[in-house]
Amino acid sequence: MRRLSAVSLEAAELGLSVGQKATDALALVPELATAEAEPEADAAALSALVDWCVRFSPAVAPDPPDGLFLDITGVDHLWGGEAAMLADLQGRLAANGLPFRCAIADTPGAAWALVHFGSDRIIASPGGQGPLLAVLPPAALRLPAETAAQIERLGLRRLGQIIDIPRAPFGRRFGQAALARLDQALGREREALVFRRPPTPWFARLAFAEPISAPEDMARVTADVAARLCARLDAESHGARRFELCFHRLDGKAMPLSIGLSLPGRDPVRIARLFAPRLETIDPGFGVEVVTLAAHAVEATSGRQARLDSGRNPTLEEGLAPLVDRLTNRLGPERVWRAAPVESHVPERAGGRVRPFAPAGEARPWNPEIPRPTRLFRRPEPVEDVMALTPDDPPTQFRWRGQLHRVRRAEGPERIGEEWWKGPIEAVRTDHLRDYYRVEDAEGGRFWLYRAGLYGDPDAPPKWWMHGLFG
Amino acid sequence: MSDFRAGRLAAMRAKIAAIEAGGRSDSESLPFGDDRIDGRLPGGGLPLGRWHEIVSSGLEVETAAAPAAFTALLATPLAARGEVVWVLRRDDLWAPGLAGLGFPPEKLICVCARDEAEALSVMEDALATLGVAAVIGEAEAVDLTAGRRLQLACEKRGATGFLIRRRPFGGLAKREAGGSAAATRWSVASAPSEPPAGEFGLGAPRFRARLERCRGGRTGAWLFEAPDAYDLEARDGTHPLRLVAELGDRQLAPALPLHANAA
Repeated sequence: MRRLSAVSLEAAELGLSVGQKATDALALVPELATAEAEPEADAAALSALVDWCVRFSPAVAPDPPDGLFLDITGVDHLWGGEAAMLADLQGRLAANGLPFRCAIADTPGAAWALVHFGSDRIIASPGGQGPLLAVLPPAALRLPAETAAQIERLGLRRLGQIIDIPRAPFGRRFGQAALARLDQALGREREALVFRRPPTPWFARLAFAEPISAPEDMARVTADVAARLCARLDAESHGARRFELCFHRLDGKAMPLSIGLSLPGRDPVRIARLFAPRLETIDPGFGVEVVTLAAHAVEATSGRQARLDSGRNPTLEEGLAPLVDRLTNRLGPERVWRAAPVESHVPERAGGRVRPFAPAGEARPWNPEIPRPTRLFRRPEPVEDVMALTPDDPPTQFRWRGQLHRVRRAEGPERIGEEWWKGPIEAVRTDHLRDYYRVEDAEGGRFWLYRAGLYGDPDAPPKWWMHGLFG
Repeated sequence: MSDFRAGRLAAMRAKIAAIEAGGRSDSESLPFGDDRIDGRLPGGGLPLGRWHEIVSSGLEVETAAAPAAFTALLATPLAARGEVVWVLRRDDLWAPGLAGLGFPPEKLICVCARDEAEALSVMEDALATLGVAAVIGEAEAVDLTAGRRLQLACEKRGATGFLIRRRPFGGLAKREAGGSAAATRWSVASAPSEPPAGEFGLGAPRFRARLERCRGGRTGAWLFEAPDAYDLEARDGTHPLRLVAELGDRQLAPALPLHANAA
């Protein structure tokens, strides 16, 4: 028998409803247009919608057949509040021809109940879903239709009544599942939603007949699973920048490890070697039964042929990239860098850092004709006993780290102001002005020191600082 | 008879040289372009595929500014052959300063190690990597084993190592190791610059460098100038360190001024 599985708004106005026999519906509305239900296509569309909803929240879970859960904890302020976010979400869905009802509540269960049985656009205040739920029918608990009907047959027509009656008899009569649904809706029990993960098709898995736990076995299966995934990457001329290895233990725990590459790669030996030092951090427990390896940030890389004159002109893949990867994975990414110019005349900002194989930025390179020190102190060090002939003259002597230096030659001043356009104009002060001098003492030591502030202000006399050494 | 003897001696010398070169007979060297120094170095220049020690005295043991500048200048010709890895303990190296000296910062990869042992092992790893022409490291002390390991890593690909002896956070000096596997040891200090007559300000940076140890060569002390520093027009492809004068060994001032000894 053919039944209606969904009806449009117009059809609903004519009195048609879901579950009605198709022949009855055609008798009521002879001009009714019907189409075959396609549950698979609906599921695919829902999962596409889940991917789309990631623009609203990173945690989106599908609620088949026709719902979505969005965890908006901590993201609603980006829209200026929950109401504005709700309106935006609903408006965008409607603009795509998808009339959704929306509600916001503390728990997924309460939000589901309000959407399906309450009015549209309800926003339950934190902790305030109880009174809103009390007026809804038992079916709002996401229970099977028979259970809901049974509860109503007993005269419990409102959730408020169920909340008030003793729990134990209710649980015995209708099952723990019904009690759990009630607790989930009221927030007494947490509910785990299966949120969408960005899927990666680059995934390999090895399952073992016997669980493994010996370190050498773990190293071997790492190499095996890497070889399996890299063979696929190689066949399609792809390389990945990030690999995630996961050991699934017998007790259901998953122990993940991940490594990053500076250039997309697919050399199984290299990848296994990067994992090797960290395998010892994995506790195999009673044994590992499955190991998975997923590749992320996959991009197409051309298959490179080993050069005939490889001894003279090595490619990055052969030498430097593995070195940088080894160091980055061992020391951490912030400890391996290449200096890159940043267009700023404030010295401490001019030396930027980039990943070793990052493409060259657009900033102009440093001007090599302006003398700059080889060592720059992160915090300038105070300089005392500075004597200068006239206020703007370079110092003739100064004391730094307890040692008196007599200046033999000097250059300067080079005035460097603060970047006043970056902050509020009131914060700009003359004592942020720096006059840099390059001086050389009698022994030949070359220093870069500066005077912060201007003479003539009795409240803020200028101070001298050592900022770097030329050597 | 004497011919026979000379032949035997020459053969023995070659054998010893081969042992000293660690089995590599094709050891290259980088000439400074001045006979006064190249004549003293084995093979007529700074030996490549070996590692060199750069020490300093006084406050420079902690700040290591002059050794850094001097080493960068020594490594500048090598940067044309491959990458240069600088292993730091304290990240106060400033690339704009190196660019001013003529060292290409785009060839430099900086690594900041967490401790001494890590710095040495990163150096070793980098030296043995294809495509790395030179590795500059900063460490407090290198014992014989670590030095030998560095030497083996250098020989693997022919990369050249420079080890700046530095106590990055001050403190008491570690006890000096007795021997060293380094090919040369330089003691470096800044020297007063001499601008051309009639010009104000500072001249090109000058360094006093004393070659304290040199395997297969003779020691000496020299005054160097870096004429390429902060001057694009002076960069003509010759060695960035120009020899100004040869110094007597005794002339090189130690950390304390001379009159301090008399007092």
